[in-house]
Amino acid sequence: MGNSGSSNKISAQDKAILDMKNQRDKLRQYQKRITVLTDREKAIAKECLARGDTNRAKLALRRKKYQEGLIQKTDAQLAQLEQLTSDVEFALVQKDVLYGLQQGTAVLKEIHREMGGIENVEKLLGENAEARAYQEEISELLANKMSNQDEDEVEDELEAMERELNGPILPEPPTKQPEFTPEQKAQMARDRAQRRARERAAEQEQRAEPMLA
Amino acid sequence: MATSAETTTAFQYPPHYSFPPFFTLQPVATTRSSQLQSWSTFIQSYCRHHRIFSLSLIDALSTPLFHNTTLSRQLALRDAKAILTWMASPEGGHRAEFISSGSKKKADESEGGRVWIYWRRPEEWAQQLEDWVDRTGQKGVVLTLYEIVEGEASAREEFAGMDMELLRMSLGVCVKRGKAQIFSSGGEGEGVKFF
Repeated sequence: MGNSGSSNKISAQDKAILDMKNQRDKLRQYQKRITVLTDREKAIAKECLARGDTNRAKLALRRKKYQEGLIQKTDAQLAQLEQLTSDVEFALVQKDVLYGLQQGTAVLKEIHREMGGIENVEKLLGENAEARAYQEEISELLANKMSNQDEDEVEDELEAMERELNGPILPEPPTKQPEFTPEQKAQMARDRAQRRARERAAEQEQRAEPMLA
Repeated sequence: MATSAETTTAFQYPPHYSFPPFFTLQPVATTRSSQLQSWSTFIQSYCRHHRIFSLSLIDALSTPLFHNTTLSRQLALRDAKAILTWMASPEGGHRAEFISSGSKKKADESEGGRVWIYWRRPEEWAQQLEDWVDRTGQKGVVLTLYEIVEGEASAREEFAGMDMELLRMSLGVCVKRGKAQIFSSGGEGEGVKFF
């Protein structure tokens, strides 16, 4: 409990508490004794009644009644004593709490002192804001240096990456043989003839070039 | 002190309890040592069950511990003493200890005296007490010795109803370990504070 661990000493409070607890124990013992007595009186009363001795039975019962009253009285005293004891113990706990609060406050104060007061903090915060503004300015300057071309390249790269990740978007494959009209077929034949003519021309050019070089 | 506390369940006697030769110490060394061992275990479990912390030999002889009425066999005082002496020795694991009562030595000799039965040794009790205090958050709280033994808070513990003298010995162990301090406030009652 708080600071009590630091001192293995018995304080005056401990002794006072012990006194109270001893008192309580004594009351408990007294109650035990009385309880034994009441039980005995009860037994005596029963015995006397069995023998037909009403007067003595009555007497025993009267004694029992009186002793029960004593028990009740001691009960009240016991409650009082116990309450007082727990009050004292609780006060000790409170003392511990207070001590803890004191220590904490002292430490907090010390830390504040090390931080150097409100002005210092304000100054530091001001400097901090300034420095941040400065940094922002630099960042802006640097960001503007980025040319349009660079930006384009960045975007291209991004797209390439996306393509890589998702794969190219392909059209649906046809499900049936294409059907052509006669005009289309004629058109296709013409296209083919043209392409071949172009290819032939290109070949001739290629053959001609090495000679030029 | 053969006042057996209220027993909730009947004690289970070991099988050798109904074996007549068990009640006579055997002369052969090997038999004897195993017999002593059995007696020691039996006495300890019997005392644990009935929460007996010390025995008065002369009274104990007529209790079911040493007297099997169904067999009408009884352990002789001499043999009982031999068993307890063996229990008190290092071989017996110091599970018993004769209580010396100083001046009346002669009288004790004749009637066998009183013996602690350590089904838990004071060091083990000390551990129990420390655990209990720890478990119930009573560190740094002043406790009276009476409270520990008779209080409502410890009624369910094994040390409830413990012999005051034994409690004092056990607490002495705690004190030696630096876990507790015994003190009194000038009055008669002693208190203990655990750390």
